[in-house]
Amino acid sequence: MPIPVTIADDSLMSRKAVRRAFPIEWEVDITEACDGKQALAAVESGKAEVLFLDLTMPELDGFGVLKYLHEHHTKTVVIVISADIQPEAKRLVDSLGAFRFLQKPLQSEQLREVLFEVGLI
Amino acid sequence: MNTLLSEEQRDALQELMNISMGQAANALARLISAKITLSIPKISAVTPHKFLAMLTKRTVWYTRQSFLGAIKGEVVAILSKDGCDAIALLMDYDLPLTQDTLNELLLELANILAGACLAGFAEQLSLKAKLSMPTIFMPAALRVEQYRWASTLIMEVEFKVEASHFDSKIVICLEEASVQTLLATLQQLLE
Repeated sequence: MPIPVTIADDSLMSRKAVRRAFPIEWEVDITEACDGKQALAAVESGKAEVLFLDLTMPELDGFGVLKYLHEHHTKTVVIVISADIQPEAKRLVDSLGAFRFLQKPLQSEQLREVLFEVGLI
Repeated sequence: MNTLLSEEQRDALQELMNISMGQAANALARLISAKITLSIPKISAVTPHKFLAMLTKRTVWYTRQSFLGAIKGEVVAILSKDGCDAIALLMDYDLPLTQDTLNELLLELANILAGACLAGFAEQLSLKAKLSMPTIFMPAALRVEQYRWASTLIMEVEFKVEASHFDSKIVICLEEASVQTLLATLQQLLE
């Protein structure tokens, strides 16, 4: 059974970069979200066992998504992929229960390591 | 410019800028232990006349650095006079700044921001670009004819240092031929 994953990023190029970085053998059913609200909708409808989350997005930003998921004790594994890599952003992301913080541009090797740690591959 | 850049290309350029600026902001944030807020990158085409018109503010300092390689152009850093002292303190300069230490501070800031920004940009596109040393730029002494480009792509982003009034803008100007190289390379990232 493919795993339902959601890629939430307002940039088409970055969503493509995440897709490209997925290990080929990883069986996934991919949903794309262009903002935080769409990301939460994907989580609610069971399309995001894993959520790849950008921080700077319209409507609801990544921090808002994390906060909601944190408060609702959602089991979604969140991997933040961000261009804002300042210490403060990392701290906030950690405190909101994201599994990992990866920096853009995304390296496929790094993503593979994280997926391995979570036990997804 | 709207006809020159497709929606996808604009998105890609903005995102490349975002990522590069994120690296630049991180470099500065760590140096001065403060949080930096970034604006959404603005991408536009301007003529030299319009560009020079952007450079007439008395409330800011300007520096410029040219770069050569697969893409050619210039990076202009626009640094606010307001809040400069606060940044100087965070960077361990003695106050009051003298003309020499002020210049040193401006060039150092320009180098950190423009350097990290251009490096990030070139790296993501796998294009080589070598940045020269920055110099203090006096736009008042400049005439339009001194600009070698006719119309060009300008990418700008604003950095604000939280808890101080300091802000700065980094503007990357590309020569026309470089714009074509850039768009061709972008296409590969969009496939």
